[in-house]
Amino acid sequence: MQPKKFFAEHESFILGTGFIVLLLIVWESIPLWYTLPRGMALFFTTPSKIAAAFYELLLNGTIEKHFYVSAIAFLVGLGLSIVVGIPLGLIMGRSRTLEDLLDPYITAANATPRIVFLPLLILWFGIGIWSKILIVFAGAVFPLLINTYVGVKNVNRVLVNVVRSFGANEWQLMKIVVLPNSVPYIIAGLRLAIGRAILGVVVGEFFGSSQGLGYMIASAATNYKVDVVFVGVFIFMALSVILTLAVKQLESRLASWRPETAKTF
Amino acid sequence: MSAKEYFAEHRRFWIGICSVFVLVCAWELTLTYIFPVNPFFFTKPSLIGTAFLEQIQSAKLWHDLAVSSQAFIWGFSFAVVIGIPLGLVMGWRRRVEYSLDPFLTALYASPLVALAPLFIIIFGVGVTGKAALVFLLAVFPFVFNTFAGVKSTDSLLINVIRSFGGDEKDLYLKVILPSTIPYIIAGARLAIGRGLVGIIVGEFYAASEGIGFAISQAGDTYRLPEMFVGIIILSLIAVVLTELMRKLESTVAPWRASDEVR
Repeated sequence: MQPKKFFAEHESFILGTGFIVLLLIVWESIPLWYTLPRGMALFFTTPSKIAAAFYELLLNGTIEKHFYVSAIAFLVGLGLSIVVGIPLGLIMGRSRTLEDLLDPYITAANATPRIVFLPLLILWFGIGIWSKILIVFAGAVFPLLINTYVGVKNVNRVLVNVVRSFGANEWQLMKIVVLPNSVPYIIAGLRLAIGRAILGVVVGEFFGSSQGLGYMIASAATNYKVDVVFVGVFIFMALSVILTLAVKQLESRLASWRPETAKTF
Repeated sequence: MSAKEYFAEHRRFWIGICSVFVLVCAWELTLTYIFPVNPFFFTKPSLIGTAFLEQIQSAKLWHDLAVSSQAFIWGFSFAVVIGIPLGLVMGWRRRVEYSLDPFLTALYASPLVALAPLFIIIFGVGVTGKAALVFLLAVFPFVFNTFAGVKSTDSLLINVIRSFGGDEKDLYLKVILPSTIPYIIAGARLAIGRGLVGIIVGEFYAASEGIGFAISQAGDTYRLPEMFVGIIILSLIAVVLTELMRKLESTVAPWRASDEVR
């Protein structure tokens, strides 16, 4: 195959990876053609040093230990928010009174960055795992709740009426029409929730913590180990991208008919 | 009759008010009569109210707010100035899109607040570090929403401009930018939320003034009413800014359904 045709076919892939590779090369070679002043050199690191630090931390088990702690906070918090958010969203979508009752709190809590509750949660639940789980929960529950609720609201009224006419009760209605119809919305909510949950893990572990990847980043930063900071940042980055892509895949499979909108995380 | 109609129209508002009122009363009464409040770990609305009045009369709160908003405004302005042009170019130039999209998507998806400690040690605890953090978090919604807006521009309009001999500048200023504005406003709404996260995390981490610092310091010293005042003020600001953007969105582009997933 001619190289030109090959390039034209794979243009987006080549340019995309090419740009990232180029950035990495430029970053790596900065010390070669520019000697940083001593003050700046303290904060500077290169991709090769980051990779070396990653390898070392992986070998001595540091990453494994911190990762395990972070993963538990993430999974339990996200699990709790799924268990609370989806049913509550379903009920809120079906009951106008409950919707009106809860609306002020949900609007306020959704607009406010939930991170502000962190000092309060630390005060109430201590610096152990529970304050992290709850900050993850507080971040992740609202996207799930609101998306489920919007999904229920957008259910086709005709379908609801048909099922009603055939004598279905509220529970059957939920199972046959409402829940299947809301699935695409719930998945979209899950994608947002994952982002918020990871944010909660990171920030929760920055403060009053002695374990977890967020703690690893914060303590490395105070000791000027910039390469270790980047190891942590890249781990979080990789996890977020992988999880987001996985949910996206699920989303496009379940809802290929929905129009594309702007990316939101 | 008219009272009933009035209630039907404003049902949501009044039920919401009642709900908040009942919750506040229940909170107050429970902690006054059933479980006497332990001021170290819990607080009640009357104490928060007293602290609120005290705080808004003191200069410290306004000073903290001014410090935080200064950093926020710097970061946010840079995000607008850099994000929107970048999104426009990405949407319009296919090769630029191909080159930048994977890189920027990865950054957008990842929790960039993880860089907060690094930013603070590099830029110090002042305005610069926080502004840089706000910029980093707020720039991506602008880039990607502008990008989506350009992509959804009606190609008929573009052809019309071209046919009448408009050049690249006319294309950008007369067609692409106007049709992208609703998307940009929606992006601004997301960016406000992310920018606030940046401010708060920056000030929790290391600061000597600012609203986030005030909240975390009140928490560290067990002054719960003051902490709640900080949280309430911050959520008021967040709600007002977000709702303003939502209003602006529906004024500028009433055809865009507002039930879009938040």
